Amino acid sequence: MAYSFILGVSLFSSSSNANNTLAYATVQQQQPSKISGTITDGIGPVPGVTIAVKGKSLTVISDYKGEYVIEASPTDILVFSFMGFKTVEVSISSQKIVNVELKEDATALQEVKINAGYYSVKEKERTGSIAKITSKDIETQPVTNVLAAMQGRMAGVNITQQTGTGGSNFSIQIRGLNSLRKDGNAPLYIIDGVPYSSESIGYGITSTNMPGPTSPLNNINPADIESIDVLKDADATAIYGSRGSNGVVLVSTKKGKKGKTKFSGALSQGTGKVVRYMKMLNTEQYLAMRAEAFANDGITTYPDDAYDINGTWDKNRYTDWQKELIGGTAQITNINASVSGGSDLTQFLISTNYSKETTVFPGNFAYKKANVRLNVNHESEDKKFRINFTGGYTLQGNNQPSTDLTTEASLLAPNAPALYDEAGNLNWENNSFNNPLRNLNGLFKSKTYDLVANTLLSYSLIKNTEVKVNLGYTDLNHGESSTFPSTIYNPAFSFGSDMSYIFYNTTARQSWIIEPQLNWKASLRDIKTDILIGSTFQQQNNKLQAFQGSGFTSNSLIYNPAAASTTQVMAHNESVYKYHSLFGRINLNWKEKYIMNLTGRRDGSSRFGPGNNFAWFGAVGFAWIFSIEDFFKDNNILSSGKLRTSYGTTGSDQIGNYQFLNSYSPANAYYQGVIGLQPTRLYNANFGWETNKKLEIAIETGFFDDRLFFTAALYRNRSSDQLVGIPLPGTTGFASLQSNLDATVENRGLELTIRTVNLQTKDFSWISSLNFSTAKNKLISFPHLEESTYSNKYVIGQPLNIQKVYQYNGIDPQTGMYSFEDVNGDGKITALEDKQTIKDLNPSYFGGVHNQFKYKRWNLDFLFQFVKQKNFNTAAMIAVPGTKFNQQIAVLDHWQQPGDASTTQIYTSGANQAAVQALYNYVASDGVILDASYVRLKNIALSFDFPNKWFPSMNCKARLESQNLLTITSFKGSDPESTSIGFTPPLRVITAGLQFNF
Amino acid sequence: MTTNNLHHFCSTNSAKVLWKIRITFVSLFFICLSSCDSFTETDIPTSELNEFAVFEQKNTANAAMTDIYAKIRDNGILTGKTYGTGKILGLYTDELSWWGGDADPSKQFYSNSVQANNLVIAEWWNSAYNAIYASNAIIEGVTASTALLKSDKDQLLGEAKFVRGLLYFYLIQLYGDVPYITTTDYTVNVKVSRMPKVEIYNKIIKDLNEASELLPKNYISEGRVRPNFYAAKALLARVYLYNRNWDEAANSASAVLNNTEIYIWQEDLSNVFLKTSTTAIWQLMPRTAIRNSDDAFTFIFNSGPPPQVALSMNLVNSFESGDLRKKLWTRAITNGPNTWHHAYKYKKSSTSNPQQEYSIVLRLSEQYLIRAEARAQQGELIGAKEDLNKIRNTAGLPSTTAVSQSEIVIAILKERRVEFFTEFGHRFMDLKRAEQLDLALRNVKESWNTTDKLLPIPQNEINLNPAIAPQNPGY
Repeated sequence: MAYSFILGVSLFSSSSNANNTLAYATVQQQQPSKISGTITDGIGPVPGVTIAVKGKSLTVISDYKGEYVIEASPTDILVFSFMGFKTVEVSISSQKIVNVELKEDATALQEVKINAGYYSVKEKERTGSIAKITSKDIETQPVTNVLAAMQGRMAGVNITQQTGTGGSNFSIQIRGLNSLRKDGNAPLYIIDGVPYSSESIGYGITSTNMPGPTSPLNNINPADIESIDVLKDADATAIYGSRGSNGVVLVSTKKGKKGKTKFSGALSQGTGKVVRYMKMLNTEQYLAMRAEAFANDGITTYPDDAYDINGTWDKNRYTDWQKELIGGTAQITNINASVSGGSDLTQFLISTNYSKETTVFPGNFAYKKANVRLNVNHESEDKKFRINFTGGYTLQGNNQPSTDLTTEASLLAPNAPALYDEAGNLNWENNSFNNPLRNLNGLFKSKTYDLVANTLLSYSLIKNTEVKVNLGYTDLNHGESSTFPSTIYNPAFSFGSDMSYIFYNTTARQSWIIEPQLNWKASLRDIKTDILIGSTFQQQNNKLQAFQGSGFTSNSLIYNPAAASTTQVMAHNESVYKYHSLFGRINLNWKEKYIMNLTGRRDGSSRFGPGNNFAWFGAVGFAWIFSIEDFFKDNNILSSGKLRTSYGTTGSDQIGNYQFLNSYSPANAYYQGVIGLQPTRLYNANFGWETNKKLEIAIETGFFDDRLFFTAALYRNRSSDQLVGIPLPGTTGFASLQSNLDATVENRGLELTIRTVNLQTKDFSWISSLNFSTAKNKLISFPHLEESTYSNKYVIGQPLNIQKVYQYNGIDPQTGMYSFEDVNGDGKITALEDKQTIKDLNPSYFGGVHNQFKYKRWNLDFLFQFVKQKNFNTAAMIAVPGTKFNQQIAVLDHWQQPGDASTTQIYTSGANQAAVQALYNYVASDGVILDASYVRLKNIALSFDFPNKWFPSMNCKARLESQNLLTITSFKGSDPESTSIGFTPPLRVITAGLQFNF
Repeated sequence: MTTNNLHHFCSTNSAKVLWKIRITFVSLFFICLSSCDSFTETDIPTSELNEFAVFEQKNTANAAMTDIYAKIRDNGILTGKTYGTGKILGLYTDELSWWGGDADPSKQFYSNSVQANNLVIAEWWNSAYNAIYASNAIIEGVTASTALLKSDKDQLLGEAKFVRGLLYFYLIQLYGDVPYITTTDYTVNVKVSRMPKVEIYNKIIKDLNEASELLPKNYISEGRVRPNFYAAKALLARVYLYNRNWDEAANSASAVLNNTEIYIWQEDLSNVFLKTSTTAIWQLMPRTAIRNSDDAFTFIFNSGPPPQVALSMNLVNSFESGDLRKKLWTRAITNGPNTWHHAYKYKKSSTSNPQQEYSIVLRLSEQYLIRAEARAQQGELIGAKEDLNKIRNTAGLPSTTAVSQSEIVIAILKERRVEFFTEFGHRFMDLKRAEQLDLALRNVKESWNTTDKLLPIPQNEINLNPAIAPQNPGY
């Protein structure tokens, strides 16, 4: 995937007037003359190529036709350089016209600058483990979330989409779970040098339509991103000290480029459908199941409420409820526009974006996002002072049903009545039908306003010494609500608006950061030295309030808390997080062969206990570029080779604020009409960060001029000082103490990437890349695990992401019921004693295969994502087979008489209590944990560059893109990726778009 | 500041000035770099109060105290809910029979086969020590407070000591020797060992004596939901009685009984458990203004067989004929040939407006029976019978026929059974102090063992703090 830098961002520079290019010349030549020419890549013109006069500061850039004009003397040498192409030097002598054909350079990868946060490093001199994608990878994907854009493209980075609802969350794990606490595993996000908190901005009970509370990461607009670098090992993350444990995601946004003012626009429109539906029983099969169930239970007269089978409902009616309720088509619109340009000294970029995504539910629901960004760069004439400002403002609005219809879509009897009656009103079928569309009366609404701004000032103090200050500010305001008006109930209950209720939540988060830095570069004989020291001051204020209002005078006043008869404050949290540190880096490079990188950080955080405020973190990384050793010099096979290793410590301060304090807080219990104040927790000064010791060894080799590039990395991370509730004897007054426990979690794994340039001719090229990750996660130690609240969750020697379940022993051929291993042999199946089978739900391996084909003006790009894993078969967990709920067709293979070998137990209408209990046990057994591996065509994009003659004054490109187009899996549930029950699976998105520059 | 300096850079041309600015800049830079360690100090969040601020204002200090009562009411030994001693120790002895499932932790009490990992055993222990922690925190906080008035300080200190004494009294009844906690420092409390019961009794007596000195004679608020001087005396009377300090027991009970302005004897038994009861010495106020006691919900059932507990026939048959307490404080439920009885002291198992019943922890009849017993043991037989008959006559029974000292003591014990049934384990504790547990229970309860007089220390406690081993005998 890394080859995608081959084309820079400003693909289409725009000057059509040759004279304009002269304006960039800052130094006049003696006896100069005008030299002009056209630059091509053999197919078409290459705009944006830098043409420099060797040894002089004069540069120009080729325009959109690939043409340039420069003033130079006959003795000069012109240097043509462009990222991704081999640099060409041409002596002018007497030529007036110099035409150049650039050749794509596969080895150019090694020259690419990798963003490591506080510094950048050439790919070939990199000592740490950093994965990268660029705007080229992102723009082929019709996605609105930054994590979605990374999915399947980076080794060691496991991302899953939780639901297909617009504005929903993704989960990310970089090299596995390090913390025993579920919320302690998020990476650090940095946008243009400003830390961006990924802590949820929602509140569980207000985000009812999603599996987890709202994440702020949706505020980042993928179209604004120039590159994403993910820092993984100690060498790369130790400079982030107490926040680097779970990896660092660096987001760099697009910057203004010099050149004539350029307008760009992109418009795309598309559709989204649910990726997979479950195969459910049709009416005939369903009613046969029901009839058999009642017969099994010895019930001959169908009960009054068995509407589906007792004749109340039409027995010949059939509705595919999945198609009806979640089978709609989401409309997806995305519009981008930007203006950029500038002189040698000052450049700017203004961009704006609007996107809208409707839902697959019936009704008018949509997720909308709009944002505007400004980037300005300026450099003083003496090139000593530089300033770079970026500011972005994002607005999001989400309007969804407060209850996802997915569960009801699979549960409803296939012969359930029509949704609407003849008059067009919701049909309750004489109160026999709990119409699923009632749920659409409850709404989830959210609005998010987010500002991220940063300024980077730098000054070249003396030779080789640069002083920098990074200033950043973020301001986020979020409000969301979920309503449950009385109209979500069957009118038969005659509930009035006094039964209506609403949950709402507001979150406000502000942060600022100041980071002065000093950078010194020098060469001492053969050793190049690069030294950085810096300091961070950061503060983040967070305020969350959640309320419930209930009993309204009218449902139309549900958003007015003053109209609620009771309001209850459910949460009120305010916190201040302060952070101060010193960091540094010493990089020593001997003859570009041996490189040592020392990084360190001393962190102080208000989250740590008094006397424990400060902590040291550090790492050392080595790289040996063996391919330039003498013994490899004369070979034609190995073109580049590097061995690198690193070891160091990082930490995690995702431990909540004030956790060491023994404060008093409201107790939610009244006495004498007053809410009591209770001691919140024990005072614990020893409270600190979690430590992660990371070790990595990797080899990176290129063969045949880097046409085949292979990397392999082995790592072992050991995360200790786990911050958990350490069980305490009751005599302390508390059951546990939040403190650093001497428990250790280990993640070890192997990551491979291969990139091959399979074919490269004048008209046709084919490049493939593969990333593959396999990892083992293990809880090595946990003192007093048995007494802790984690005793049923974790097992020493096992991964963190396990399930303790019953051992399923198949269907008892005599009773026809699911049977389980009675581990303690007491004749009963009881959770505590008999759930002893351990199932690992971590993926055993995952990765992606990416191919890019280029034929003349056509580009075809596709990514297959693969995951090998086990997960819950949600389809088997819906309801007891035989009850008034529909089932997947797999239940047809069921037990009917003694001796039957089948996969589904005896049907029951619910009267067979033992069978009902057996189903509940089955749902908590390894019988429902099945292979959920899949191969998915995550992304496919086809684009066509219009020939210049079609639109002489602009560059134009048409695109056809799709996400999740194809899934190959044996999984029986709806979707193998997002297995959260009751939520819309991810969507298959297909969009068509047009992109133009002029 | 840095920004300004940088702008200066751009405009200045003089090399000298430039160097000066450079040097200034570098030094400023290093000042910035040198750690401003104090930067990371934060104030307490506005959504919480720090331990000192709580005790700088009367309202917040008061809320810290009332939260202890709320917790005592809702969890642990004195709750009226399903795992309170009223029900659980009733099952453990001969007051209640069990009709619920086998998996319910109550069942182990009924069958006298309590395991050390029983959930109720742990809940009683943990909630008592949690309230003791909170009481210690109040004593520390109030003592250190500079802003509270002396009268407020005395009130809160008195209440905290009362609660501490109360909980230790129950802890030693249930578990025998237990750790005695005097600080809020967990590093100390995490490895405490057990203190002999006798020493703890002395500490309880000291706490209650101090509480009675600190607390006012009148209730500080509406109802009798905050302990006063008499509540401390009433509990003290019980503690002296259990210690066979007959003289002090009688004196303390008299101190309560003599105040006939606050404590007016109630001839009508239907009024004893009302929130307005004039024989209540200390009550727990329900959560909201329309709720009643939790006890009613725990014991009352309206159709048989009972969902959880019913009065044992042993208890039902122990009422003398004509005892109004059987008529007014129990209720029979019939289904076909079967009849069950439930405790009916509290009658409101649902909400009512206005609310009618509070759970009463200390009440006047106990003081009469304490004094009766103390007097009998001291040989003041007439006075003893007088006190005993006060209770009997109110229940519609004739005066006692007991004559000798030992007969009177036995009669008092018998009277306590029918007076205090299902109230916070009185029966268990009375039999235990009279050393009659084996005698009374071994024929009634199949698996009763002598070692059952002590409950097990929660197993988790021993695992986490080996210093409190060994486990009580029999577990």
